[in-house]
Amino acid sequence: MPELNCVYRHREFGDHLTSLADYERAGGYLGLKETLALSPDDALYAFHRSGLRGRGGAGFPMGRKASFLPKDTGKPTYVVCNADESEPGTFKDREIIEHNPFQLIEGMTIASYAVGCERAYIYIRGEYEAQAQVLDAAIAEAREAGRLGPDALGPGRPFDITVYRGAGAYICGEETALLESLEGKRGQPRLKPPFPAVAGLYGCPTLINNVETLASLPPIMHRGPDWYAAMGNEKSPGTKLFSVSGHVLNPGNFEVVLGETTLRELIYDMAGGLRPGREVKAVWPGGSSVPVIGADSLDVALDYEALNGVGTFLGSGGCIVMDDSGCIVRASWRLAQFYRHESCGKCTPCREGTGWLANILGRMVHGEGRGEEDIRLLESLFGRIEGRTLCPLADGAVMPIQSALDLFRDEFIRVAHEGSSRPVPMTEAPVG
Amino acid sequence: MADPASSPGGSGAGGETPPVDVVSLTVNGRAIEAPKGTMLVDAAKAAGIEIPIFCYEPRLGAPIGACRMCLVEVEGMRGLQTACSTPVAPDMVVSTESELAKDAQDGVLELLLANHPLDCPVCDKGGECPLQDRTFRFGPGQTRTVEPKLHFPKPLDLSPLVALDRERCIACYRCVRFSQEVAEDGQLTFQERGDHVEIATFSGDPYEGRFTGNTIDLCPVGALTSNPYRFVSRPWDIKNTPSVCAGCSVGCNLEATERDNEVKRLTGRPEPNFAVEEGWICDRGRWGYPALRSDERITGPVLVDAVGRRTVLLDRAVNEAAGMLGRRELRVAVLLGEPITVEAGFLATEFATRAGNGEAMVRRMGIPGHGLDPLRALPGAQMDDLDRADAIVVLGGDPCAQQPVAELRLRKALRRGARVAMAGPRPTALDPSCQVTRTTPGHLQDALPIVAELIGAAERPIVMWDEADLAAEPDAAAALAALIEDHPATRAIELACDVSGPGLRALGVATAEDMLAALEAGEVDVLLTIQADPTTGPEGARWSRAIDGVPRIIEMSTYRSGVTDRADLVLPLLTALEDEGVLVSMTGRAQRLRPAARECADAASAWELLIALTHRLGRPVPDRTPAQAFSRLAAEHAAFAGLDYGELGTTGAVIAQGRGAGAGGPAARRNPAGDGLLVIPCRPVFGDATAHRSDALASVVEPTRVGLAPAEAERLGVRTEARVRITTPHGEAVLPLEVDSRLHEGAAYLFTGDPHAGAAALLPMDGGPVRAAVGVAQREQVEA
Repeated sequence: MPELNCVYRHREFGDHLTSLADYERAGGYLGLKETLALSPDDALYAFHRSGLRGRGGAGFPMGRKASFLPKDTGKPTYVVCNADESEPGTFKDREIIEHNPFQLIEGMTIASYAVGCERAYIYIRGEYEAQAQVLDAAIAEAREAGRLGPDALGPGRPFDITVYRGAGAYICGEETALLESLEGKRGQPRLKPPFPAVAGLYGCPTLINNVETLASLPPIMHRGPDWYAAMGNEKSPGTKLFSVSGHVLNPGNFEVVLGETTLRELIYDMAGGLRPGREVKAVWPGGSSVPVIGADSLDVALDYEALNGVGTFLGSGGCIVMDDSGCIVRASWRLAQFYRHESCGKCTPCREGTGWLANILGRMVHGEGRGEEDIRLLESLFGRIEGRTLCPLADGAVMPIQSALDLFRDEFIRVAHEGSSRPVPMTEAPVG
Repeated sequence: MADPASSPGGSGAGGETPPVDVVSLTVNGRAIEAPKGTMLVDAAKAAGIEIPIFCYEPRLGAPIGACRMCLVEVEGMRGLQTACSTPVAPDMVVSTESELAKDAQDGVLELLLANHPLDCPVCDKGGECPLQDRTFRFGPGQTRTVEPKLHFPKPLDLSPLVALDRERCIACYRCVRFSQEVAEDGQLTFQERGDHVEIATFSGDPYEGRFTGNTIDLCPVGALTSNPYRFVSRPWDIKNTPSVCAGCSVGCNLEATERDNEVKRLTGRPEPNFAVEEGWICDRGRWGYPALRSDERITGPVLVDAVGRRTVLLDRAVNEAAGMLGRRELRVAVLLGEPITVEAGFLATEFATRAGNGEAMVRRMGIPGHGLDPLRALPGAQMDDLDRADAIVVLGGDPCAQQPVAELRLRKALRRGARVAMAGPRPTALDPSCQVTRTTPGHLQDALPIVAELIGAAERPIVMWDEADLAAEPDAAAALAALIEDHPATRAIELACDVSGPGLRALGVATAEDMLAALEAGEVDVLLTIQADPTTGPEGARWSRAIDGVPRIIEMSTYRSGVTDRADLVLPLLTALEDEGVLVSMTGRAQRLRPAARECADAASAWELLIALTHRLGRPVPDRTPAQAFSRLAAEHAAFAGLDYGELGTTGAVIAQGRGAGAGGPAARRNPAGDGLLVIPCRPVFGDATAHRSDALASVVEPTRVGLAPAEAERLGVRTEARVRITTPHGEAVLPLEVDSRLHEGAAYLFTGDPHAGAAALLPMDGGPVRAAVGVAQREQVEA
């Protein structure tokens, strides 16, 4: 099985690398050592050569993003770790933080060295209170050991990290909303441009990356970018964490080499498959915000390009599986309610559109649908929301619902006429 | 809507604009041009192509792209672009009418209306509502929602003056941005998320401030409405008239709403005067209009003679006045107060040659300020020059309270990165934001090194100096003038005290010290006061005694005054909102008042009465209208040379400055009269007569009072007193006491404004420094 614990290094070492000594025994901080031997520009180039793509959802090449930061602006440069992990079905970063926090700290140190940052922030979702404590403890320990502090990057070259807890808003996973929140303001996306690389935290050049992205840097720098780039395929190199949840018997996190595993293998071989007698009905492979795919797409390879090929995205790697006991309209309604609840309210199509979608789907589910008229209304509404908003939240609300309607049109029409019965809950189902 | 492109260039000197690159592009198949950096929405507007907007408002800072109303299609760019945040680029091809763009407009409006209550028939905004207008023009014909809309209890008082209807709010952020980025009061925010967002103050307390009403003007729907205007009128029953606020010397342009011959509302101008107020007006200016209907308004002419005191017809009253003024041996004095238009001032000077012995004395109330001439001779600036200044020093005064809208310009300058320094004896609202030099009372010259440092290091510095404070310290005035002359790039703005001063000074009308002496000497047979109440002004007690000795008194006034009960004849005057003519602002901008209503049928304009009187006296002036009077005064007075009444339009023109009356005065330091604490006169924003007369402002009106530093109050043994007795050589008064740790020791801060409180009467007429004894009020005085 092409599983490789590169970011999940702790899994190779008794599942816990929560002390600095353990982490160092497990090869920790060798990546930083290699990095400090390079010039910052060479370190940046190494990121670039590794082919590492942003693991938060958008998949933008990390090295390129880091290279956008202007130099010599006279302002401080910031590195911000996005630990908001609020995408439904996604819990991969949580395991890094809980079990392997020093790899994140080392990764942030490496990134900060490359872009010239002396003060980095971890923006962690408010619900991750225990995880924030783990990070605080790890940071304190690293500081104690001189891994953070006035000489973290060498004598007289300071670097430190501050953990900042959010207040429980999905939107704060969007990078500009995260920055607003980190600045102490209401968490709402900013108009781009300017992009955070140019004017981010406090208007200063800012590199903002997901936990997994930053935690990928230590092995990349330790074993070399070419080692990393050789894994997977050319456009999607390296390993990726997948969180599998939903109607599977062994939900959990799995680190796989991109392109070497199929969705079917992920669900059936790693996540334990489905309840007896059940078939896969729908999968949201990259968190709830990506288009849903059906059982006929299970043999897709798990990498960015292949998933695009079947009309969806790798996204955050939060793979949500639904078996044939579920009602796709009810599931779409549930998602719509989530996006309505989480829309920040700043721009019109998202603020009003997510609520309207939830209302229409709610009517349909409750037997108050208007048949084809509601289907046409939904379809017209998708186009009036998607691509017209300030940030991608609304696109993420539309895509899973729009794709569900495309894929399960007959069921939508039936529910729009008849309503939906409740699905069979997991706990009531006979487990083999 | 505001359009930065329509902002006139620096009207004063110092406003040189660099050459701009022009970009050519195509919008809807038409070739248009726009300066580089212009946003598409503005470029299109300048070319006559409307791109609908809600959140976009350049006066509120950078675009935020929230409402998505302005989505347009740009060739070569993926999807749709917000025209409010997309700058023009060479050869850009833009469509606001493509199928996709039209679907976006229709779609955004459909979504905006999804939760908007269609209560337009009972909404104050209905009929003048951008959401209505844009829905008609760009939106869907009918709704596709069948679900119930979100409902909130309504309305909520955001403050006693501003009502909030959360259902109607379309979350455009304009009010929040105004609060956060223009007034910088930091109070308004959005609470909750998604379609449940609602405007609120952070603390949950009422929205307090000096500029809160601008959020009503900015609101593109009926979410924020004026409580005093609530359900007062529908837009099709009203007439809006552009006019000028006579509340202070800034001369903010505003729009007055009339219904049933009453002024029902004042708002900022939809097309702002960028050289003055930029469309913002202060809450005192906005909600002062109910004063027009206050109990103190004189509603009919009153004649007092052997028969007794009675109301007469206006025509009879004018005849009576002519009778009192006609005899050739009479020595007549005319005292002008405020507001007085330049036409009325000019006609008063003409009248003086026709009444009585033909040598009537015409004087104005106000500070003589002989020592100020060197400052007034300096090159001036307009308010928009503050937008280009790199250093601004405010010397004396407190523009935040006395010329309120100036505060917003200063905040704007600070946001832009300009250095702003406030120097003077008063704490101001800007203190937390800028460089502050708190001078010892009476020692403004101590701040001159700061002035020198700032203007010395700047390329386009502006000094704003306070008329009253510099008049009290002629030595500082002379030194400041010399300092500015040494830095020729510096421009000066006078923070003038009264509304009529700049205009009347330009006509050569002098202040009234010699008139008081003449009255006291019994050298005046008939006194005519026009909007003047010297009995409540400086040295009011002395004026009262002097007036009591005058055989005949004629008063022309809007409101009852200390003169009214002494007068033999009272002629009611219209207010500035009902009057016509020109007021000159503190920056020398001549701007036209236009009558918005005529609330009082038996009242007249001062210019009308003066013209009528000259006719009755058989020595008529040739004018019939303010326009004719203006053209004559422009021909006769150099300051107005070349100005044409018609061409003043709705934004005015700047008169030639620095040629005021007065031959220059002594620059020597003046010693304060009296004993005790040095008096620092303060004019709080909600403390003036208008604020006291307007019932709309009852929730914010500030009492006339004495302010002391805690240690000073302690020393005087009045720390726990509610009221104190304050005595100067000019009189005494019992006033509420306010102990404030931001105030200086060694000074008594005299917050004036309420004409009935008698505080201003304690000050000297010459505007010189004065000392006051402050002590415990006797019991009977408190009760009185």
